[in-house]
Amino acid sequence: MPRMTMNVPLNRVEGDLEVKVEMEDGVVKDAWSSGTMYRGFENMLVGRGALDGLVMTPRICGICTTTHLTAAARALDMAAGVKVPDAAVRVRNIALMAEHVQSDVRHGFLMFAVDFLNPAYKENTLYDEAVKRYQPLKGESAAETVRETKRLLEIIAILGGQWPHSSFMVPGGVVSMPSATELVQCRHLLANYRKWYESRVLGCTVERWLDVKSAKDLETWLDESTSHRDSDLGFFIRFARKANLHKIGKGHGNFLSYGSLPLPEQTAVGGTDGMLVPAGFATGKDVQVFDQAMIAEHVAHSWFIDYEGGKHPSKGETRPYATGNEGRKYSWAKAPRYDGRPAETGPLAEMVISKSPLFADLLEREGPNVFLRQLARLVRSTTIMPAMATWLNEAVKEGGACYNPPGNIEDGEGYGLVEAARGALGHWIKIKGGKIERYQIITPTAWHASPRDSDGVRGPFEESLAGTPVKDPENPVEMGHVVRSFDACLVCTVHSIDGGRDMGRLRVSI
Amino acid sequence: MPVTLYWLQCGACSGDTISLLNSESPDLVELAGLLDIELLWHPSLSNTTLKGQRELTERLLSGEQRLDVLCIEGSIIRGPGGTGMYDATDGRPKKDLVAALAQKAHFVVAVGTCASFGGIGADGEVEATGLQFHKWTKGGFLGEDFVSKSGLPVVNLPGCPCHCDAVSGALSALATGAPVALDEYNRPENWYGMMVHQGCTRNEYHEYRVEEAEFGEKGCLFFYKGCHGPIAHGVCNKLLWNRRTSKTRVGVPCFGCTRPDFPQPYPFFQTRNIEGIPIELPHGLNRAHYMAYKGMAAAAAPDRLKDRKTKI
Repeated sequence: MPRMTMNVPLNRVEGDLEVKVEMEDGVVKDAWSSGTMYRGFENMLVGRGALDGLVMTPRICGICTTTHLTAAARALDMAAGVKVPDAAVRVRNIALMAEHVQSDVRHGFLMFAVDFLNPAYKENTLYDEAVKRYQPLKGESAAETVRETKRLLEIIAILGGQWPHSSFMVPGGVVSMPSATELVQCRHLLANYRKWYESRVLGCTVERWLDVKSAKDLETWLDESTSHRDSDLGFFIRFARKANLHKIGKGHGNFLSYGSLPLPEQTAVGGTDGMLVPAGFATGKDVQVFDQAMIAEHVAHSWFIDYEGGKHPSKGETRPYATGNEGRKYSWAKAPRYDGRPAETGPLAEMVISKSPLFADLLEREGPNVFLRQLARLVRSTTIMPAMATWLNEAVKEGGACYNPPGNIEDGEGYGLVEAARGALGHWIKIKGGKIERYQIITPTAWHASPRDSDGVRGPFEESLAGTPVKDPENPVEMGHVVRSFDACLVCTVHSIDGGRDMGRLRVSI
Repeated sequence: MPVTLYWLQCGACSGDTISLLNSESPDLVELAGLLDIELLWHPSLSNTTLKGQRELTERLLSGEQRLDVLCIEGSIIRGPGGTGMYDATDGRPKKDLVAALAQKAHFVVAVGTCASFGGIGADGEVEATGLQFHKWTKGGFLGEDFVSKSGLPVVNLPGCPCHCDAVSGALSALATGAPVALDEYNRPENWYGMMVHQGCTRNEYHEYRVEEAEFGEKGCLFFYKGCHGPIAHGVCNKLLWNRRTSKTRVGVPCFGCTRPDFPQPYPFFQTRNIEGIPIELPHGLNRAHYMAYKGMAAAAAPDRLKDRKTKI
């Protein structure tokens, strides 16, 4: 039996990731996911001013910058015990939603779909079309994605001064309330974007898409018109089915959402438990109530000073330690667990936890997979944009105070939980004497790129890669699909370090 | 002949790349066409395989492949203990690749504050530094005498993130042979020869010392909120962000993100002061004169400003 071990570095994941896999008979038998570089953000924050997370943490990631700001602000809201006025809740939400909407399509067409141009698909009848659409900086869809998402992001600039890396959310609200006319501008920008998204990405109206409620509906939708088939979503479905992307990347089937986008007290937008995106932990379709006390991080297989089992982030520690010779330790990322279990997070998890009928049906038929994760990501905007428009309308009409002064925060503890475009993001802060005493961050990619935990259970990348058939070990494009379906963002694994080991294994690339 | 460009991320957050995507007229796609840029490698945008990248690196280092512009995003990470192994690629410290490529490049451009001056992590356990400066001090990773093949030192384009027009403008100038005058921190004067304060719509509040003590009041953010507008160089209020506005215009203090000492060691959102007068005064002025002027200015402030009637 041909048996081999290979190290697979990945690009287009925002940061560097190396995955070691063991292959047998052309199938991945086992996988080990290993992080990138140590940036030491958490330790850098200790001893700084109470509000400094608002400036420092958006700079963890140029892509989820507004999401880190939201988590930092919410952690401080809690530490200060301050109530955020409705107007500020809307402004924060609208900015966050703009960031999600652009991130989902940028990942879809600038990162994920670029794999369709891989030489492995040269014989695929859709290959030429894929090149025409997604060739970096040249493809039609790629160029339009850059142009249209950039315009949508002007909304965050109007609300917060710039994108990326602003700090306009502060404990108690936001620093200023845009005027009604500026909010109308935001409405125009959203309406224009939605027009493009409907014509180019969906090939139909948002309303028509929201009628797709089952696997059968999806087939009907695809066959219904050429505009559906030729849209980027239609093309994705056709290419993905042909490439069997629904048969790879299964994973554990555990889904996690922290919940996001809190509802203002007065609003026409409906939600669950006060949030538009509900929180929950699901095993398959079985959704349980979410409790942040169930989160813990393990370091048994990570190059950090050992402790027993897992630690809740409010008690967490980041003490890097490695000689490179510890045996069982192989990664610089910690292993986050919920109720002792690994979990995937992101658009598919949100669809499962919010009990979307389409995704419940597809999940039951085909299990979690690469195709389903990407499908959820590409259509998530259909549920975000209508709520965003409503909140913009309410903001125009109601205006209102945007800030409730919390005073100086001398001592306090809090956490900020939010859904980033790529999944659950949490900040945990402790302030003492006006200074940060502890700051712990768990990013969505930390959940996904997790190494094994104290019980030896694999992380989501590792679990999803196991069982993946790889046609050509010199060009394992299938592994790229699996990892990129999680919308990996490695710059965010704030406490991961790449030891830069060269273990003399065969190194191949995707 | 196309302009060959190699973009490497070191201790980076991708923010400068993401900021560059904000470019408008020409946008990034158009700019690449106008300058005939051949993008040899970019970690987020390329579809070259890493195997292909490795072969490319070999051709670059052997001189077989011409390298016109080397852009570095993110700090040079030297830890632990000077090994650089906190940021490695292919089993080797990335800093070694930077050093080797810098010798081959016609121009070397530091994109963002981290690549220019060390930025985030410059005081941290990762031992980060800038390409040719460590904060205010010349030297950094490549040393103060370094010049690229063109004879220019590293062209620094600080900012966290760097404004897209500084990147596209500097690339355009370098690619077309337009003169690029650099200041004492190797920043092109075109984009760093003015203060962030210049062009801020809140200038009149500053002029009459009408201050914002609580967020949302509308006023100058310099006296209480830690705004670095008058003490940081940048185009934020000249060219604006995302074609629209700037942080200071909407009431977010400037954090001085283009400065060699960013991020500052003291707390954000507050101004260090003595008796209500900021310790660090606007760039280039006399403290006694400034205090006399501010005292008179506050007394002379028009009611429409004091009452915040101005719609700015």
